[in-house]
Amino acid sequence: MSVTSLEIACTVNGNSITQAIDVRTTLAHWLREDLALTGTKVSCDVQICGACTVLVAGEPVSACTYLAVDVDGKAVTTIEGLARDGELHPLQRAFVEKMALQCGFCTPGFIMMAKALLDSTPQPSREEILEHLDGNLCRCTGYAPIVAAVEQAARVLQGIKAGENG
Amino acid sequence: MLPPFALERPDRLDEALGLLDDVSVPYCGGTELLMAMKMNVLRPRCLVDLKGIAELGRLDWDGDDVLVGGAVTHARLATDDDVLSGSALLASVERRVGNARVRSQGSIGGNLCFAEPRSDIATLLCAMEASVTLQSQTDSREVAMRDFLIGAYETVREPGELLVNVLIPKVRRYRGVYLKYQYSERPTVGVALVHDEAEGPWRLAVGAVGEIPLVLEADSPSGFDPHAVAESIDLVEDLSGSVEYKRHIVEVYVRRAMQLAIQGDSL
Repeated sequence: MSVTSLEIACTVNGNSITQAIDVRTTLAHWLREDLALTGTKVSCDVQICGACTVLVAGEPVSACTYLAVDVDGKAVTTIEGLARDGELHPLQRAFVEKMALQCGFCTPGFIMMAKALLDSTPQPSREEILEHLDGNLCRCTGYAPIVAAVEQAARVLQGIKAGENG
Repeated sequence: MLPPFALERPDRLDEALGLLDDVSVPYCGGTELLMAMKMNVLRPRCLVDLKGIAELGRLDWDGDDVLVGGAVTHARLATDDDVLSGSALLASVERRVGNARVRSQGSIGGNLCFAEPRSDIATLLCAMEASVTLQSQTDSREVAMRDFLIGAYETVREPGELLVNVLIPKVRRYRGVYLKYQYSERPTVGVALVHDEAEGPWRLAVGAVGEIPLVLEADSPSGFDPHAVAESIDLVEDLSGSVEYKRHIVEVYVRRAMQLAIQGDSL
């Protein structure tokens, strides 16, 4: 039966949500307008720039070109879901320390893309970082500090993991 | 917010086939369709979501052949262990489609049916002599990739048909190279040069520069004339460059692909 609205159940940053959503709603619109999670930015609106990147079931997606109803049954992670107990995530801290942002509009998208990479490839080569971030645009930094920040975060996360295991 | 439409979420293939028509269209990753809807290029009344249909997610090996379900994503083809060991070339091309978000959302069936002229995978599959199965409620037909694509954004698929799978015969035996020049989200030129290492000719496919890939055969990787290829291909001037520029870059990339294949530097 065709529908124009669906009730979905998912988690967003660990919080369970059940809500009826118009099928026309994009994930970016839903996050920003209904859930007030405005950290996810919309820039190009055609999945080229990467500013709207969020994770759905651990995979990076362009929230601007993704139906919100498609997160039904899945876990969504946005930039707001990274900090813990007031402590920035190592990726966020590395972006600050390496000055990997200026205007900051692209930053949530870069960080979520980088998180997807480090979750699947904890020790990426420089080439792998460049390849993975190829679809994200930044008009301020010239990219080098962003790559340096991801490299730093990878080292920090490895250290944390080694500490947990040791 | 997208233009108005209704959504169907069938979980069986026959159910999906019964829904497709001129205004009810297949929907999977949405990486092409939703953009076209945003731009008001397409205004379907209903999206038939294919993601819940298990058989469209199949990845079945039979000897040297592989059958890929239409809803299999680029990311899966780029990282699946069997694909990596069975065809490093296919995996490497999939690994560089679009960007990581497009790869995680986009399906091979959607990519081929949208017939974007700058599809990497369409160029490779034309060189590999792959075919697609188009199924409707009443019929099923297998179409060679080279016959499937008939123009920019145009295929032989009828509105009631669904691309249910892609067959890549002898994929384990194919060796070759895929080179592309790309400065934005899609390639300016893509060149595939492959052959079945057990038998048969070398096949060259040049894509992205015209409406559909040009496919040529020769007995050896040195059997192509890059200048003649560039002179013979139908080119389309667009934001990636003029016809003159594209003719030049086709010659350069065909020559480079030949050099790599000749020196055995292929996957």
